[in-house]
Amino acid sequence: MKAIDLFLSPLSAAGRWLGAVLLVVLLLLPYWGSSYVMTVATTVFYLALVGQSWNLMLGFAGLLSIGHALFVGVGAYASAYLFSAIGLPPAIGVVPAVALAVLIGLLIGYLGFRFAIGGVYFALLTIAFAEFVRIVVDHVPWLGATEGFFLKVSAADRHGIDLANLRGAPEMYYYLIMALALGALVLCRYLLRSRLGYYWQAIRDDPEAAEALGINLLRYRMYAVAISSGMAGVAGVFYAFYQNSLFPEIVFNIERSIEATLGSIVGGVGTLFGPIFGTFILTPLGEFVTEGIDLLKHWRVIDPETKLDGLKLLVWSFIVVLIVLFKPTGLWPWVCHRLRLTRPGAEG
Amino acid sequence: MKSRMTSAVSRRTLLAGVGASALAASVPLRHGLAASKIKVGILLPRSGPQAQIGIDCQRGADVAPEVLGAMGYPEMEYILGDTETKVDVARAQAEKLIDAGAHVIVGAFDSGQTMAAAQVCEQKNIPLVVNIAAVTKLTELGYKWVFRNFPTGPMIVGDAFKNQKTLFAESGATPKSVALLHVNDTFGTSLSGALMALTPKFKMPYKIVEKIPYDPYGRDFSAEVRKVKAAKPEALWAVSRLNDAIAITKELVRQRVDLMGILSTGPGWYEDPYLQATGKYGDDVISLVPWVDYKKEMARRMRDAYRKKFPGRSITSNQGYTFDAVLIVADAFKRAGSTKNTDLQAALRTTDITNNTTIGEGIRFNEKGQVPHVPCGAVQNRDGKQLVVLPKFAAVAEPIWPMRPWRER
Repeated sequence: MKAIDLFLSPLSAAGRWLGAVLLVVLLLLPYWGSSYVMTVATTVFYLALVGQSWNLMLGFAGLLSIGHALFVGVGAYASAYLFSAIGLPPAIGVVPAVALAVLIGLLIGYLGFRFAIGGVYFALLTIAFAEFVRIVVDHVPWLGATEGFFLKVSAADRHGIDLANLRGAPEMYYYLIMALALGALVLCRYLLRSRLGYYWQAIRDDPEAAEALGINLLRYRMYAVAISSGMAGVAGVFYAFYQNSLFPEIVFNIERSIEATLGSIVGGVGTLFGPIFGTFILTPLGEFVTEGIDLLKHWRVIDPETKLDGLKLLVWSFIVVLIVLFKPTGLWPWVCHRLRLTRPGAEG
Repeated sequence: MKSRMTSAVSRRTLLAGVGASALAASVPLRHGLAASKIKVGILLPRSGPQAQIGIDCQRGADVAPEVLGAMGYPEMEYILGDTETKVDVARAQAEKLIDAGAHVIVGAFDSGQTMAAAQVCEQKNIPLVVNIAAVTKLTELGYKWVFRNFPTGPMIVGDAFKNQKTLFAESGATPKSVALLHVNDTFGTSLSGALMALTPKFKMPYKIVEKIPYDPYGRDFSAEVRKVKAAKPEALWAVSRLNDAIAITKELVRQRVDLMGILSTGPGWYEDPYLQATGKYGDDVISLVPWVDYKKEMARRMRDAYRKKFPGRSITSNQGYTFDAVLIVADAFKRAGSTKNTDLQAALRTTDITNNTTIGEGIRFNEKGQVPHVPCGAVQNRDGKQLVVLPKFAAVAEPIWPMRPWRER
């Protein structure tokens, strides 16, 4: 109850009502949406989880990472390998997988903070590590190397619920990732209101002043990296068992890292709901554009034979540019203000 | 009057109607028995980095209904899906195509995207006929709904060696040293690694004297070509993509690196933009790749229809193998006489097509859903055209080997 109270406390009455309605709609999605809609929604929650972990580093602690795909990839490969090689269920495999992601995060963090590598240079360090691990995995035969690593699936896997082995109906994956994303939200809310969160925000806003006040920069930055990489590692475990195939070039690609940042940037870096809100705007936006084009073709506003492949990406990019230009602090604070979704003075 | 008309349909009736419509729309009549038309989901990368390849593949699919219709094959309706060159989008789009009522899916060019689509198809019991994807595991995971008429990576590499041996034996010119120049991405490192490992196994008459990786986003290849020149190989084997192939050719000419020949495995060196950009200097390059066999009637029919629909554009393996994938679907549907998934699956298992468009004896799937051997060809550029020079049974021209020096062109 305490966790729920903590989570709901920044929301106004309108915000709570809207949240409740949205929650009900999303909980009932498998009953009203097609499997395609559910796949899109699953992707949205997955990106929200990765976005939240990224936001924890930059938004809360002021550490820019553009290599978050590394932590996701390490979690994914570790859990998939343990499952495939020794039959370790992901419910248990998540522990060593996350531990490995955290360990790599701590290594990067230590190198960065110990040698005072900050800002964009720290971001470059994260990219370098992601590339390094990609190249290593590219050359490890027991991880499938460039040919990819595969988890076998069958029609039987699509039925029932086997949470321990992450095998089951698409609804299971949907509810699981929804729970994980909401769990991450609650965790971030808790952290933000904790002593740790205040330390992070102090470090983010003015590291020198924070240090002068006695905050151990190295230690608290390491905490941020560890928690963030751990969250991304959990997302990686989900990714591996949802996708069932891992290719180093895809999993560790910088594009995946940038994808993790987009939701937060559009939603609002440093805000609690920003990453999830941004992802909820961005992913369906692309799908709406596609559907809109199809509808225009159906109504013969556009010749049905016209090939408009790629237009979706153009329109999508244009809208994202508009959002970044006109709402540089993100959409969530603006929406909050307009709709009065949070209580005055409360952080969203 | 207005209110009467409104009240004629009560809210309950309207809700019931909407509910029934929604239910009907969400449950496609996929299990209909005797159907005159089959819905084929064509899943390709139509945007993103692989967009041009996706468009080429789609063109192969676009000419199929006309060609096959004239030959008595049943009608097909395409539903198009765009993977955006992303694995997760490929998965979502496969779901979308199936939701839209696709009885079978054709696609998806790229191994990762095809693997994502294969999992959806496997779980939803919808046949996936792969047009292009070389990853071996695709048909080694025990999938029951995946069918592939495309060579796996080892088949492509094995045939590349075999065709080289034939080429050297018939021309009487055998290089003793080869430099391997490859793009340093997943595709390039994987393929070049296999070539290095298998060269001794196939007892090739040459030694790979230099292995030169290069940045996939590189624009200036003067350093790499200088390395080639310094290694003094008799032939060059390239694993490239389009823009790098063009730039490397220009650099080879600029630095006057004359070789016995340039061999390529993979895309780039046979593509239309390459031929246009390099002109006479693109001639004589030999690509060791899966290709179309114009000695087959179906390939000639496809070519004729293609020239009418897309004048001035070449047919490559992209169009050929996508056409063949649609042919496989049309043939299975014709024999099954039904769009029921299990009927289509059974018909696909017993596929026996000899009149297809690509090199090889024909299309017959083994128990894994793979055509056991899909032979590759040796395709030489001549006057801006791609001509099959090997294997003999598919060849339309004799190979020029050694290639002509740059200055004599």
